Amino acid sequence: MSARLSRLLRSMPLKLALGLVILFSTVSLISLAASYFVTQQSLEQGIRANLTQDLAGFRAAPNAGAVAALVEAVARETDPERRVLSYLAPNRRQYGNAAIARDDEGYHIVSLSQDSPELKGQYLALTTSLYGGQLTVARSRAEIDALRRVFVNILGLSLVPTILIALSGGIYLARRSARHVARVSRTLDRLTRGDLKARVGPVPDWSDDLAEIGAKIDQMAHAQEGSVEAIRQVSSDIAHDLKTPIQRVAVHLDDLSQRGDLDDAANDLLDQAKRELDGIVSVFGSLLQIAQIESGSPGSQFQPVDMIGLVSTCAELYEPAASESGRRLNAVVPEDVPRVSGDRNLLLQMLANLIENALRHTPDGTDITIDLKARGDRVILSISDHGPGIPAHETENVLQRLYRLDRSRLTPGSGLGLSLVSVVARLHGATLVLEDNRPGLRVCLTFPALQEPPGPLAQG
Amino acid sequence: MKILVVEDDETTAGFIARGLREEGQSVDLVTDGRAALIQATGAEYDVLIVDRMLPGIDGLTVVKTLRGAGNQTPVLFLTSLGSVDDRISGLNAGGDDYLVKPFAFGELSARVAALARRPKALEQETVLRAGDLEMDLIARKVTRAGTEIDLLPREFAILELLLRRKGRIQTRTMLLETIWDIRFDPMTNVVETHISRLRAKVDKPFDSDLIKTVRGSGYRIEG
Repeated sequence: MSARLSRLLRSMPLKLALGLVILFSTVSLISLAASYFVTQQSLEQGIRANLTQDLAGFRAAPNAGAVAALVEAVARETDPERRVLSYLAPNRRQYGNAAIARDDEGYHIVSLSQDSPELKGQYLALTTSLYGGQLTVARSRAEIDALRRVFVNILGLSLVPTILIALSGGIYLARRSARHVARVSRTLDRLTRGDLKARVGPVPDWSDDLAEIGAKIDQMAHAQEGSVEAIRQVSSDIAHDLKTPIQRVAVHLDDLSQRGDLDDAANDLLDQAKRELDGIVSVFGSLLQIAQIESGSPGSQFQPVDMIGLVSTCAELYEPAASESGRRLNAVVPEDVPRVSGDRNLLLQMLANLIENALRHTPDGTDITIDLKARGDRVILSISDHGPGIPAHETENVLQRLYRLDRSRLTPGSGLGLSLVSVVARLHGATLVLEDNRPGLRVCLTFPALQEPPGPLAQG
Repeated sequence: MKILVVEDDETTAGFIARGLREEGQSVDLVTDGRAALIQATGAEYDVLIVDRMLPGIDGLTVVKTLRGAGNQTPVLFLTSLGSVDDRISGLNAGGDDYLVKPFAFGELSARVAALARRPKALEQETVLRAGDLEMDLIARKVTRAGTEIDLLPREFAILELLLRRKGRIQTRTMLLETIWDIRFDPMTNVVETHISRLRAKVDKPFDSDLIKTVRGSGYRIEG
């Protein structure tokens, strides 16, 4: 679930939507903040002008007593919630509708709620000394507070729906495109695995650009399928054209060996020719088989294969051959390993090639171990020995067709064993790793396990 | 035995026909699919040897057509194609066995012999005998000249196959197919190693050898 979510978050449409939301919100915030600032400044400017005017009225009074009387008179008619007048006379008496005591002159922002709880909010106050006393006039900033609330509301009303619509649209588009991408990617996966019949196919609600990509992939797959089919045809033609003459040579050699008038030297030559012919047949067969596997589409012939049975069969088959050269052939097999989807015969041949490789390229008496185990949803098959191994820089080369290590030139073999192993592994979606067994070679094959529903059918 | 060989390559066809005639079989030879259909429906044969690639009607179609018409004569396919898919399609078409070119005559002859007497293999014998050797299939016991021989399951299976097809050659590839269900040719002489183990138990302690090697072909227990 969380993996799906993170994939969704990383998808292009949702990223675009999020980016647009952030951009739009930032621009809105900046412009709203600027207009708020300008309006607030002009409101505050108005309050300051009023305060200066108020003070000017009181300055007209001739002495402190007159100021006090005037303050009292005006205060009586003034709502302290809107305007506060306060005069601290030289005799320390306080006049006005609220007490504001400031030593310094000029503008201040004051709050009166401490002394007079009924007066809420902030006031802008202007203080000046007049006839030895302190006169303060304060006007409520309620208008500015109201302005802030209005602006916050505007912000909320404009931004929240935008964000919601953009986000849900983004998620919808992201999921839609994820579905489309999944369809394309499934097709590509099948093509990669060699199922050349896989097509994206036309989908009615796709946009033109996506449909075009789909059509291009289908075109490519079609071309691929055609050329693979052609290769297959050519290789089977070659097989037929070359195998018949090889068969004839075998026939002639057979006829020759039926003649009783050959001397020993001639018989030796004949045997040699037969062995060489067998070699040709075997290399030729292997090359054709590798080509067929490489161009073939897997899956269609695949069956669930019991790997335990496979390993046991091979171990049992090669055990006498191994013990003849003083080796132990150990098969380490757990009781239960998931089956693998594959071609039993090819898997057997692959394992046989690996065992024969070990038999051929290690000195007599070198033990060989076949190890089978399950790891999560993988089945790991490894064949290891403590022979001379393969130098690290050669591990890539030995998988190539007909490649042989210098020191192996004189041992029998076609140089095709490991390349067959490699193509069979690829056909089965298995990874093939040649490792240093310190010392020796460890060939490790990791297959995807067959997902089978539990139950009596899954056994056996 | 009466055998029909359907093969368009003259050299191969001649080689097969000559070899089989030397073994005392009666062989008819045709070189294309049409002639094969006419010949096979017109006369009773014990075995048909059919090349898969023929001019005109190919071998697969010939055998499908014969099977469709109710002809149950055992068929051995010859082919240049050797992949498992090809083998399966051949057997699905109604072929009974399959031989990939190039092949040695011994292999062909052993397989033809196995095909021709296939129904007899179904007989429910419980004790198989050869000379002084006795195999009890129910008790899974083997004795020779009264001495019990202890065999591993696979050795028992090999010996049973040789006894069931007594007198006929079992080639290496036939043994690999029947005993291990393996359809490729291992490079190492694995079959030889198994046979030599079996011989060490069945033949070596006694005066005579029952399991005979047929040079270049395979193994046989004489009747």
